[in-house]
Amino acid sequence: MKAYRSMVLVSSDPESLDRGALDVFNTLQKSITAFGLEEEISLSMISDLNKKGLDPLVLVYPDAVIYGSVTPQDIPHIVEEHLYKGRVVEEKQVSPYDLTGRVAWLSARKGTLPAENRIVLKNVGLIDPENIDEYIIAEGYESLGKVLREMPPQEVISEIKNSGLRGRGGAGFPTGLKWSFVAGAKGDKKYVICNADESEPGTFKDRLVLEGDPHAIIEAMMIAAYSVGADEGYVYIRGEYGLAISRMKHAIEQARAYGLLGKNIFGTDFSFDLHIHAGAGAYICGEETALIESIEGNRGEPRTRPPYPTTAGLWQKPTLVNNVETLANIPAIIRNGAAWYKAIGTPSSPGTKVYTILGNVNVTGLIEVPMGITLREVISIYAKGMKNNSTFKLAQTGGSSGSIIPASLQDTPMDFDSYSKAGVSLGSGALLICNEEVCVVDLAKVLLNFFRVESCGKCNPCRIGNKRSYEILSNISEGVGTLQDLKNLQTMSDQLYDLSNCGLGQTAGSPLRDILAHFRAEVEAHIKLKVCPAGVCPMSGRRAHQID
Amino acid sequence: MIKLTIDGKTIEVQEGTTVLGAAEAAGVYIPTLCHHPQLTPYGGCRLCMVEVEGAKTLQPSCTLPATDGMVVNTKSQKVLDARKFILTLIFSERNHFCMYCQVSGGDCELQNRAYDEGMTHWDLQPNWQPYEVDASHPFIVLDNNRCILCRRCVRACGELVGNYTLGFEERGANSSLVADYDVPLGESTCVSCGTCVQICPTGALIDRQSAYQGRETDVEHHISVCTECAVGCQMDILTRDNRLVRIEGDWDAELNHGLLCKHGRFLPLEDDRPRLLTPMVRKDGTLKAATWDEAFKAIADNLGKGKRLGAIASTRLPAEDLALFKSIFADQLDAGVVTSLEEGAATASLSALADQLGKSFESNLTTLKDTDVVLSLELDLVDEHEVAGFFVKRQLQNGTTLIVADSKPNQLGDKAEIKLPLKAGGEADFLNALLAAVEKGSSDIDLDNAAKALKSAEKPVIVYGVDFAHNASEAALDTLMTLAEKTGAALVGVKGKSNSLAAAQLNLDIPFTVDGLSTAYVLLGDEEPSQKLVKALESVLFVVAQAAYGSQVTGKASVVLPVGNWAEQSGTYLSLDGRLQKAVKSINPPEGILTNHEVLLKIAETLSVSPDMDWKASLMARIPTVAIQEA
Repeated sequence: MKAYRSMVLVSSDPESLDRGALDVFNTLQKSITAFGLEEEISLSMISDLNKKGLDPLVLVYPDAVIYGSVTPQDIPHIVEEHLYKGRVVEEKQVSPYDLTGRVAWLSARKGTLPAENRIVLKNVGLIDPENIDEYIIAEGYESLGKVLREMPPQEVISEIKNSGLRGRGGAGFPTGLKWSFVAGAKGDKKYVICNADESEPGTFKDRLVLEGDPHAIIEAMMIAAYSVGADEGYVYIRGEYGLAISRMKHAIEQARAYGLLGKNIFGTDFSFDLHIHAGAGAYICGEETALIESIEGNRGEPRTRPPYPTTAGLWQKPTLVNNVETLANIPAIIRNGAAWYKAIGTPSSPGTKVYTILGNVNVTGLIEVPMGITLREVISIYAKGMKNNSTFKLAQTGGSSGSIIPASLQDTPMDFDSYSKAGVSLGSGALLICNEEVCVVDLAKVLLNFFRVESCGKCNPCRIGNKRSYEILSNISEGVGTLQDLKNLQTMSDQLYDLSNCGLGQTAGSPLRDILAHFRAEVEAHIKLKVCPAGVCPMSGRRAHQID
Repeated sequence: MIKLTIDGKTIEVQEGTTVLGAAEAAGVYIPTLCHHPQLTPYGGCRLCMVEVEGAKTLQPSCTLPATDGMVVNTKSQKVLDARKFILTLIFSERNHFCMYCQVSGGDCELQNRAYDEGMTHWDLQPNWQPYEVDASHPFIVLDNNRCILCRRCVRACGELVGNYTLGFEERGANSSLVADYDVPLGESTCVSCGTCVQICPTGALIDRQSAYQGRETDVEHHISVCTECAVGCQMDILTRDNRLVRIEGDWDAELNHGLLCKHGRFLPLEDDRPRLLTPMVRKDGTLKAATWDEAFKAIADNLGKGKRLGAIASTRLPAEDLALFKSIFADQLDAGVVTSLEEGAATASLSALADQLGKSFESNLTTLKDTDVVLSLELDLVDEHEVAGFFVKRQLQNGTTLIVADSKPNQLGDKAEIKLPLKAGGEADFLNALLAAVEKGSSDIDLDNAAKALKSAEKPVIVYGVDFAHNASEAALDTLMTLAEKTGAALVGVKGKSNSLAAAQLNLDIPFTVDGLSTAYVLLGDEEPSQKLVKALESVLFVVAQAAYGSQVTGKASVVLPVGNWAEQSGTYLSLDGRLQKAVKSINPPEGILTNHEVLLKIAETLSVSPDMDWKASLMARIPTVAIQEA
């Protein structure tokens, strides 16, 4: 394959196309050819750069320069100055910090922020995700080759175990241990599933990997399959991720064409094939057993455990289910060794974590940082402080099933064990950062509404409990709550944890528990004083059932 | 074996037992709602949660496998609080105002559980959202307001019946029970077997016939056997004040374990034919009410003996009655023709084969429950012998291959993996071709696939219908035997009505011809006579009709003898696979009416004959097609 000196990306979201991105692209192509640079510079369209009002965007790598509001008329100048002569055209350049945090945002600032450490997002935004050659040049499929040729399955599992990698889907289960369960399970047929049904609100880390580096997932799944003795895999991608699905499809086709998927890979006995299964919009299908049910064509309802998927998963065969982010760590661990990986992050939670930062901060977006940094660091360093110098009130982690972190915990290291000791959860890696303008009752109401709608409906505590909790919170926010309601909410939270069938129900009550533990006075003000201190709640005096 | 401790009691159970099962064995009661012994554990209602030492949260005992050394507590405050919490949630979810519900007062599992836990009220604001009641079905009312979303009906419809009509739409708090893709139940793919009604723990699925007719505390139960078809399902007949209230499947029945079809469950209660309530004798051309004595005198005066007498009986009569009938008319009166209404259509050739072979060659119906390949020959199991059809249908999800060969449209055809053309009368050719395919393959892809499937199957079954048994020549049956031998297939013939096999054993399996007959004795029992019979009897001068209901035969008969119907008599039935089962009398007949058996005894007395009373010996005199097992 060819190696390029520079890569140029043109935004191709609907807004950009509306504003003539296609013309820009075509002009670029002509212009690059005119300067005889077609052998040196690659050109592609890319979606999700998202800078409102400045479309279309043109990105130049490896310089990570972003040009905004580009018209075809600007192109000859940009090509001549930047690509031919190497001088940035400053008058068309736009700040990366205003981008809403997708591919461009993080790529543009690679290395510009302290302590950022790219493992999961190593290639994202830097290679053409639709070109397998670029992945191969970036050390791609090297780890697979190494594993298939040099390492017996047991050794791979030991390496993963030694790395201390823990599942990034939210629960933090040791990955190597899970692999060893599947490897040790009896079965003539085994499956590997990549859980790419990223449905936690505010979380879009997996999407970035799927869209920007799909081959990394394929490679990791094959390493996993080889280690546990599987020969077939599924990537379960949430249906809304159209681009991720098409990129993954394309990547699978390319890998097949290169003989990287199929029979006797690398001339060994190992065979593996991969399918894509698109989700249909249910949050619950991110739960691994519901996901398996969904692949089997059934209603997406979590199974009861035991048996666990590691012994009886897809079609009742031993099945390994790993999250996208977890898998994206695998090739790097194999390439660089467990010791290297273990040196990053904290001893009990090695490695990095990708966070999506949202809320009342100056910069929102994605960061990949070592495990163990604190919320205060995230806010001050990566998010460039609170918006309008407002005061930090709380952060909500991990999408809906995470925790509400009060200011008192903002110096707690963000790793699985420290958070679990503090009674909170790291969740999936979304960080919704809120200032004093956010009302905790309203926040909990929004979260409970989500669970009310997204519960699968199988078990009573989750199906009914979330609905009743939502109604109680609505009553409080309308100013008709009672102190008995608080007792009921506490009971709901405790019982949901104790009685629910799956993680959704078990964690659905945590917002209730958290607001009562950390913000009780604010909640009580709604009831006793009929006042919402943040000024958010409607306090209309109507009851929940009169409203919806 | 596994040893565990439940509430301080140490017990040993088999590996694979759930904690709930272990608790039952230890005599520890754990309340449940979504659990049902006939269904795969689901773990949805969370009422059976127990405390397990070492577990972070409470655990559902219905799905949790017992493990060695496990310590379980079912009575801790935490468990009791959890139960009340779950019940509170359920009561708050939909309209559970018990006093308006038909199952309230003992029949509702939800209400009973709440009483068990000492609940008097619930703390949460109840639901305000009403649901439409679906009363579109002829037998079933679906009331989502009473539903607790336990999925028993959905699982029963799929797992037990293999019909998959019921399901859930939407998710979370909006989840709702629907038929097919949310069509009215009456317009759905429902086959009206009623299993969902029987398994519903609340009043969400009730049946129209028995609603508000009597609670559990008001009714009497009679475990009996269905007298419709030869499958021989065991059933529970619920009566109140000498009235049929409802028919349910018997969950403990070995074969059908709770399943019935509409013919067994609903249709018997729909019977609105006019009941015969008094004996009648034709005088001066018109039928007039008479006393029993007058009726028997007319019979003594007119009913002939020997070749000019014919006798025909229903195959839905108890074996005792059929044996008595046969003894009186064939053995004692030497009637010219003595047979059954089915005239041996499904049995004659098979019985002849058993005679010829000198052994039984058919298998039990239970083979259909775990077969991996079924070949169905001229038999629509959706239409007849439905419960056997359920066994096949529900197996399909487990990968069982269904091969349908039929000359007519077959409703199971859509579900068949392989469909083979079979011409009526071409049974021998068809079986020869299939046998050849089994032996050396075939160029016909379907035939070859069918042959391969049968050959490679572990437990193949060939099941054939009445038409097949009727049309198949001796040669065809020979080929069938060879085919079964070569493939190791079990053979099951569905026979027909509830006592067809008994009739065959008694040689009541010859064609009914009226040529030369001057008198006839027609024992209809509950049966509606066919037009063919009505026409045939037109030329017979003196006809005695013994029947429960008025029909064209009784209307034209010279003497009519009213008898009790299926529910008003006891007797023995021989199922298609040789199970001898007792049907019990569940209600008393209307006054002045005799049972079929009593009338036959009177006839014997009237005609001064002494019949053989050992019905069982008569039944066993002939080599049966399938081994007879006594209950």
